[in-house]
Amino acid sequence: MSKLFPKSANTLPFQIVIYLVVLAGIATAGVTYYMTPKYTRVGYAPVQPVPFSHAQHVQEIGLDCRYCHSNVDKSGHSNIPSAQTCMNCHSVVKANSPLLAPVRESAEKGTPVPWVWIHTTPDYAYFNHAAHVNRGVSCVECHGKVNEMDVVSHSKPLSMAFCIECHRDPAARLRDPKDVFNLNSPRLADKGPEGLKTAQKFVHDWKVTPPQSCSGCHR
Amino acid sequence: MKRKFEHPAPSEREQLTGPAYWRSLDELQSTPGFRAQMEREFPEGADTLEGVDRRHFMKIMAASFALGGAGLAGCRRPEKFILPYGKSVEGVIPGLPSCYATAMPVRKWAIPLLAETHQGRPTKLEGNASFEPHGGAASLAAQASILDLYDPDRATAHTKAGATVTREQVDQILDTISQNYAATQGAGLAFLAEESSSPTRRRLVAALRAKFPRSVWAEYEPVTDEAPIAAAQAAFGAAVKPVYHFAKAKRIVSIDADFLQTEAGSLAHARGFAQGRRVAKKSDPMNRLYAVESGLTLTGSMADHRLRLSSSHMLSFAARLAAATYQQAVDQLVPYVHEIGVSQAWINECANDLLAQKGAALVVAGAHLPAEVHALVYGINVAIGAVGQTVEFIPIETTPGVSTISALATAIKGGSVKTLVILGGNPAYNAPADLGWAALQKSVGEVVRVGYHVDETTAASQGVVHVVRAHYLESWGDARTVDGTVVPVQPMIQPLFGGLTDNEIIARITGEKTPDSYALVATTITGLAGAGATAEKTMARFLHDGVLAKSAPRPVAVRFSVNGVRQLLGAPKPVIQFSAGNVEVRFVADHKMDDGRFANNGWLQECPDPITKISWDNAILVSPRLAKDLNIEPKGSAIQVARKEEAEFTMGKQSAPVFELTVGGRKIRGPVHIQPGLANYTVIVPLGYGRSVTGRVGKDAGFNAYPARASDAMHVASGTLTNTGTRALLANTQEHWSMEGRDIIREANYEPAATPDGKSYQENPAFVNTIGMESHAPSNIGPVGEKMTPQERAVQIPRGNSLYSTPKFDGHHQWGMSIDLNTCIGCNACVVACQAENNIPIVGKEQVMRGREMHWIRIDRYYSDGQIDGSAFGGEGNKMLPEEPQISLQPMTCVHCELAPCETVCPVNATVHDDEGINTMAYNRCIGTRYCANNCPYKVRRFNFFDWNQRKLDELYLGPLADFGTPELVKMAKNPEVSVRMRGVMEKCTYCVQRIQNAKIQHKVKMTREGKPGDVRVPDGTIKAACEQTCPVGAITFGDILDPNSAVSKAKAREQDYAVLGYLNVRPRTTYSGKLRNPNPKMPDYKPLPHSRTEYDRKNVPPSHDHGHAPAAHGAAKKGAH
Repeated sequence: MSKLFPKSANTLPFQIVIYLVVLAGIATAGVTYYMTPKYTRVGYAPVQPVPFSHAQHVQEIGLDCRYCHSNVDKSGHSNIPSAQTCMNCHSVVKANSPLLAPVRESAEKGTPVPWVWIHTTPDYAYFNHAAHVNRGVSCVECHGKVNEMDVVSHSKPLSMAFCIECHRDPAARLRDPKDVFNLNSPRLADKGPEGLKTAQKFVHDWKVTPPQSCSGCHR
Repeated sequence: MKRKFEHPAPSEREQLTGPAYWRSLDELQSTPGFRAQMEREFPEGADTLEGVDRRHFMKIMAASFALGGAGLAGCRRPEKFILPYGKSVEGVIPGLPSCYATAMPVRKWAIPLLAETHQGRPTKLEGNASFEPHGGAASLAAQASILDLYDPDRATAHTKAGATVTREQVDQILDTISQNYAATQGAGLAFLAEESSSPTRRRLVAALRAKFPRSVWAEYEPVTDEAPIAAAQAAFGAAVKPVYHFAKAKRIVSIDADFLQTEAGSLAHARGFAQGRRVAKKSDPMNRLYAVESGLTLTGSMADHRLRLSSSHMLSFAARLAAATYQQAVDQLVPYVHEIGVSQAWINECANDLLAQKGAALVVAGAHLPAEVHALVYGINVAIGAVGQTVEFIPIETTPGVSTISALATAIKGGSVKTLVILGGNPAYNAPADLGWAALQKSVGEVVRVGYHVDETTAASQGVVHVVRAHYLESWGDARTVDGTVVPVQPMIQPLFGGLTDNEIIARITGEKTPDSYALVATTITGLAGAGATAEKTMARFLHDGVLAKSAPRPVAVRFSVNGVRQLLGAPKPVIQFSAGNVEVRFVADHKMDDGRFANNGWLQECPDPITKISWDNAILVSPRLAKDLNIEPKGSAIQVARKEEAEFTMGKQSAPVFELTVGGRKIRGPVHIQPGLANYTVIVPLGYGRSVTGRVGKDAGFNAYPARASDAMHVASGTLTNTGTRALLANTQEHWSMEGRDIIREANYEPAATPDGKSYQENPAFVNTIGMESHAPSNIGPVGEKMTPQERAVQIPRGNSLYSTPKFDGHHQWGMSIDLNTCIGCNACVVACQAENNIPIVGKEQVMRGREMHWIRIDRYYSDGQIDGSAFGGEGNKMLPEEPQISLQPMTCVHCELAPCETVCPVNATVHDDEGINTMAYNRCIGTRYCANNCPYKVRRFNFFDWNQRKLDELYLGPLADFGTPELVKMAKNPEVSVRMRGVMEKCTYCVQRIQNAKIQHKVKMTREGKPGDVRVPDGTIKAACEQTCPVGAITFGDILDPNSAVSKAKAREQDYAVLGYLNVRPRTTYSGKLRNPNPKMPDYKPLPHSRTEYDRKNVPPSHDHGHAPAAHGAAKKGAH
């Protein structure tokens, strides 16, 4: 047999194993990096039918999130405003801007403006906005600083790991309920040790027990 | 909620394409791909796309991709859109369902409903609790009727001679009729309509008749569910109808009446009956039901004493019961008494029992029985003091000049009908066979047919104008409930295919130029509400409540007229004695198809018949005695020779012999199913199947019994059966009929026997603990464990030495359920309610035959006759089929074991517990090993063997070659709160987790707003599981078992509450309350023990057994979980 295989072949099985391990490692690392929402989703900023700037509307005009997303604290679904809402102002302001043509048409005819959907959960995951914003979870936790965005982009992965991280330790991310819609406000826990204590008291008094069971989100 | 939609005028696009509602951009643009999808349908029997072969299909799919591709932003993900309203809709919050009051009209009554809509799309119907007699319940048919709205096979366009016509042309046709017959006062014009309770229709018909006095207005219903008016006319000399108060009745005799299921007002009856039946503690009274019947109905299955008797002999029975209750009338009744094989002692003791409870007893007769029986029953009710107590009479509005279908047929034969308007119904399918309706209809010059489906009646005439009829969820209308209360029929959605209501058509023919169906109703209702009421306020209130207050007619006092009844009875007729050669044939409305109107409803087709458990088919039901005479008795199980089955099953498929039934020279063919509990020589023939022109669901389902039915014998006839020698396969979902002496359902008599044996409920309310494995062993968790909370139990006494970590159950609530077997009537409404709520697909007959039905909740039906052979084959032998069985019904669904056997075997943790005690399914984790289903002791897990939602049911085996996708119309029926499952995953009852989660969130939001953010426990009663919500008898109770005051905790505290298979130590969260029977010890057929208990004792307690352990010792062994 020794004629058939050189001595160096003795290490071949070992080498193969090493290669396989390395290969599997690379594949795993690749999948983890390139195929998870962190890579595939974050940064998604599609062109919208109307170049609406959140930064302008929030920072310059000072609109509250709930002026447009009026049902976010009532319903599971945070509504995109109807064209009618836009026309409250835009029937006077920039009434003839060509960029607003789709909105005017929508308000007139009742046909919807096809806004491109950015933040979405899979069909089998049931996220509820009202449950979060009423109980100290700010918009910014999932959507990032939308108030500073001219073009909305996907800033957090919104993967299951992302959700669970917060559900396991809500105290670290809660805000004062008054600050939920103030996207520049700090988390309670970021206000030093006193803040963390307040957050823990909040969790205790409000009985904040985010579900970690499947049934919390999957039905 | 109340609101009248001000619908905008339809745009040009809507007029062209039909649906005013659209779900996707594809639909809005009406791309070819969408149209192709629309025309596709998933259920069984579907052909390939009509006129479109695969290559063509690929082409149009490519075209639609090209259209969609134009908007693609890149390759990283498909672009999805959020489409907000252009103009906000008042009261609609996207993501939150709204509920509106409406009602489902059924013949001369209606079921008040609440429709849950998601942004204008109705998805689920529930009973309207504002109507007190129903208490929020809805029937099986009402639950399923929403699927008809989204039936892809419904008529989608108005047609004339098969060619599409526009709405304007339809209006023109109707206007022409109106103008043409104005001169002749309607001579030559005839209408055939369904029965209706609508005050608006009544008003419009009166106006129509005033304008066309010489026209014919005929009404026809193939089945009847109300007592004939003639009986009341004779007995009381007034047009009145009975309204029953079953809640007040302590003793009830049902003479061939299925008042719990098929008769008008069944929901109210069932609710009242359950009130008198429910026993929570020892001191609670319990009603007693005597049933005399020829078939085996659900009412009969609840009976404490059941007498099998041919329907033709009911008059004789009623006469004897009348004579026994009212001695003074004996002489007059004697001529009507015949020898019908009923013991006089039975009748006497029954009568004595009724008289002993004078004023709290009630006798009811089946709607199909002749007026003579009803008149006698009215007499009995007077004699036992029922009138004014348990039964009241309300005046009925009779429409003068209403003709019958027979009279109309005569008129057509005479050539005096030139134009025939058929409003609804389906006479070509269900008219009496001797009329030869199809040919008659053909001979009429002009036929306008208003129909929901293109059916036999549309197909019967060549140049017929078919007008699309609106579904009741698309219509404005009104109706009366069984007690006469006026309820609104409110549209939930604009007519998807431009359907019209009967009211609009009648109004237009009467001459109204632009009839607005809302205005028509508003006029009626404002008129009914009386003086001083403004239309706006009245309608707002009416639509909000869903009932018109005080609109029910007041009961009237009645005087029984002996002479009237004597006249009605006339000369005594001889009774026929039936035999194997001359059997009594009873045509009955099917439990699910009714008269055939629901034939294309997949939920109803797949729902097993409550008694026979056959789905997708009807069968000629024969008694075991007749089966023996016909020589078709099954041989019994091949494995255990001593065990007799009620049908022959080969590989789980029921193989039924096909017989020819001849009635008056007319022949029909159908498979025969042996049904224990029938009168010996009565065969039951369910109507409503065998539709020849229908959608793809109803096609090829069952056989059509109408051709054997003549106008002189609509309900009861006599005929002969001959074996054709062929066989047919039936999809029967329950192969085995006997509990074989096991303790799955635990029963006891309510009252002690003459010689007390300690086994009755009164003697030992905890009788369930003396039955079953638990009675012989100490509790699995010991007396200390029994007292623990679920948390403590889970942490301190987990399953011994298991590697599987037991969930901690530390949630704010712990969910549980209790099912009261004592009140469950087995109506199957829960099965379809669950299907509607949880997006459960149908699988088709072929797959049901393979045992792949997907229902999350099923009703198990067992027979017992106490004749089990204790010595044969380990005490499991049933050597004969029971002729007089007792029926036990058990709703069975996932019981959410705290130590669930399914969880420990799942290799991927797809089924795990949540912190509130729900055994959850994470569909996306499931890889389909089916280990969990194998390890489930209750057999409640359901596997998606195919992609039921995405594939056509007749192309399942083509795999990826079959078309993929759900038709848009079918998608609209889905509940958006529940995942639609795919192929290869397991599913099962979730305790309606979507309702729980949404209620918890809504409660938290509400409490936070009210400044009580720490209050996170949902108050009891907020969450109702879909099955619980619709249950007319309130047998199902769901809630938080941590709260000692919750309804479910109280239900579980009943001493007769037990865990099925509790000895397995799986600690189920769903427990059952034992069934009670309340037989009369004085009756000749009295048995001191329920048959199932006798069988249990025969199998488990050998005769030599000296009953060493007293009941007290048994009692120490408590139920497994609670």
